[in-house]
Amino acid sequence: MISTEAVKYSLRNLKQRKARSFFTLLSIFMGITTIFIFISFGLGLYAYIGELSGSSSADKVLIMSKGSGLAGLDTAFGLTKDEVKAVENVPGVFEATGSYFKAAEVEYRDEQIYTLIGSYDPKVPLVMEIFGIQQSEGRMLKPGDEKHILVGYNYQVKDKIFPDALDVNSKINVNDVDFKVVGFLEEIGNPQDDAQVFVTNDFMEEMYDENLSYNWVVAKVDLKNIDEVKEKIEKTLRKERDLEEGKEDFFVQTFDEMIEGYSSALDIVIGFVVLIALISVLVSAVNTANTMITSVIERIKEIGVIKSIGAKNKTILGIFLFESSFLGFVAGVIGVLLGWGLSALGGAILNNVGYGFLQPSFSPWLFVGCIAFATITGAISGVFPAYKASKINPVDALRYE
Amino acid sequence: MKKEDKHKSEVINLNAVKKYYYMGDNVVKAVDGINLRVKKGDFIAVMGPSGSGKSTVMNLIGNLDVPTHGDIYLGGENTSYFSESDLAELRGKRVGFIFQQFNLIPNLTVKENVMLPMDFQGVSKQEREEIARELLSKVGLGDRIDFYPNQLSGGQQQRVAIARSLANDPDVILADEPTGNLDTKTGEKVISFLKALNKEGKTVIIVTHDLYVAKHAKVIYWLKDGKVEKKTRKRK
Repeated sequence: MISTEAVKYSLRNLKQRKARSFFTLLSIFMGITTIFIFISFGLGLYAYIGELSGSSSADKVLIMSKGSGLAGLDTAFGLTKDEVKAVENVPGVFEATGSYFKAAEVEYRDEQIYTLIGSYDPKVPLVMEIFGIQQSEGRMLKPGDEKHILVGYNYQVKDKIFPDALDVNSKINVNDVDFKVVGFLEEIGNPQDDAQVFVTNDFMEEMYDENLSYNWVVAKVDLKNIDEVKEKIEKTLRKERDLEEGKEDFFVQTFDEMIEGYSSALDIVIGFVVLIALISVLVSAVNTANTMITSVIERIKEIGVIKSIGAKNKTILGIFLFESSFLGFVAGVIGVLLGWGLSALGGAILNNVGYGFLQPSFSPWLFVGCIAFATITGAISGVFPAYKASKINPVDALRYE
Repeated sequence: MKKEDKHKSEVINLNAVKKYYYMGDNVVKAVDGINLRVKKGDFIAVMGPSGSGKSTVMNLIGNLDVPTHGDIYLGGENTSYFSESDLAELRGKRVGFIFQQFNLIPNLTVKENVMLPMDFQGVSKQEREEIARELLSKVGLGDRIDFYPNQLSGGQQQRVAIARSLANDPDVILADEPTGNLDTKTGEKVISFLKALNKEGKTVIIVTHDLYVAKHAKVIYWLKDGKVEKKTRKRK
């Protein structure tokens, strides 16, 4: 729409009004940077959840306390062995198994830390299978393992949990019981999970004489009738625990439902933050429109001159639209580069403190999309000022001082 | 000369043109029925005191403004029915403006200022450059092409404006008080440029209140209260 001299004219105008152009840019790119950062982390989290749901766990059903999340820390809640048996007897359930969790003091070479000790049944290792967690070194637990312990990934990293890294066969003490490390789990990506330790259900029962109950239970069911089976499990447990419908202290969830729950929670969080960032971009668009209007008023006489030497209304429109779009484009590029840098830095810091799952993901579309969005925002901000400029009467404009 | 040829050679024809401004109940008659015929190669001055309507006449001739009554013919074409974009093209191609305050674009170099009108007409970059250089050396500024306007004196700026007005090789050069902001000596130089252009065959119209400037013209239209009071022709 506009050619060389007109482009030069626009660019030099922006350059001449450096401070104003800079602040306009700043107001746009701050919003773009925020959007970029949150979407890149959002994409990373979606990818992480996608990996989880990619594992072949669609036929698993989880039973846990209504109050607590995954860790099953709610000590008031627990399913008894009998209740798990009852679940196992529900038609369509192939097998069911539970996990105990207890607070743990882990000691290694006179250093102590506090974490959770969990357990599972090596004969029916559904608890580990559901998230596809395997050993990174050594082996998983075997039936009959006594005083053998499987520990989180971070134990094999020097200075992460203990000053010294542990090896397979290292001796540690957990809640006053001496154990031999048989294996390390894969990295899960957050410092809590990567510091947990696991023993067999049998040995957990041996360690704690008191009435232990399962903090969460996993059942493998008939995938074809999974929703029906889920309902039957709920019904059975209500009966076992003598609870009315709607007043359960537990909830039953299929694996897919759980993943969906995560991703819809993520949708809301990311959506909310991006919405706020969008509002900030909207504000900056108003700011840009204001800048452009000022610029039009300052140049009324020039517009008159340009019209007198043959510029059409649409040429003037093009010149001003170009200016505001160019501002938007530059702001987009700066915003994206800054966002990229900050996200990468943030990811590195998070990784360093153990949140390996919280990583940004940089899709080329994110770069293109953010820059395009900024450019379009700039263009839209320029529409009204450019239209006004194009409609300026050259006779009045030439007389304007 | 045959009648047809005469019509063809007519560059501008203002036919009973009026420009009224309506302000509430008042009517301001800036131009009140003017007939003005300009032939190719004419050198015309439009004289008159301020408020006589000469600026409005100039805007009408330059197609920057449209009349409330009457018709304006440019190169034989009635511009009354032209769209905004056609009018813009017409003035870009057929009319070269020179202003009292030079009105160069401060952010563009001397060369770019001269190239800009050609840019609007879609002339190729190479051609624009060539023509701009040529015109600028013609007005004696061949060594200043990369200067910005504020690095030049008033007289030099007006010479750039003359070069710019010639960019699209227009039929008419329209100069509004071209010497108004210049000292006498520099003003004379500008006038001599315009005279030289006229000799080359360009039609020149100067709007001025300075009789000394007007005397260079072949025909002088004397305006008063939006009307042509008299028309004087210079004797050869």
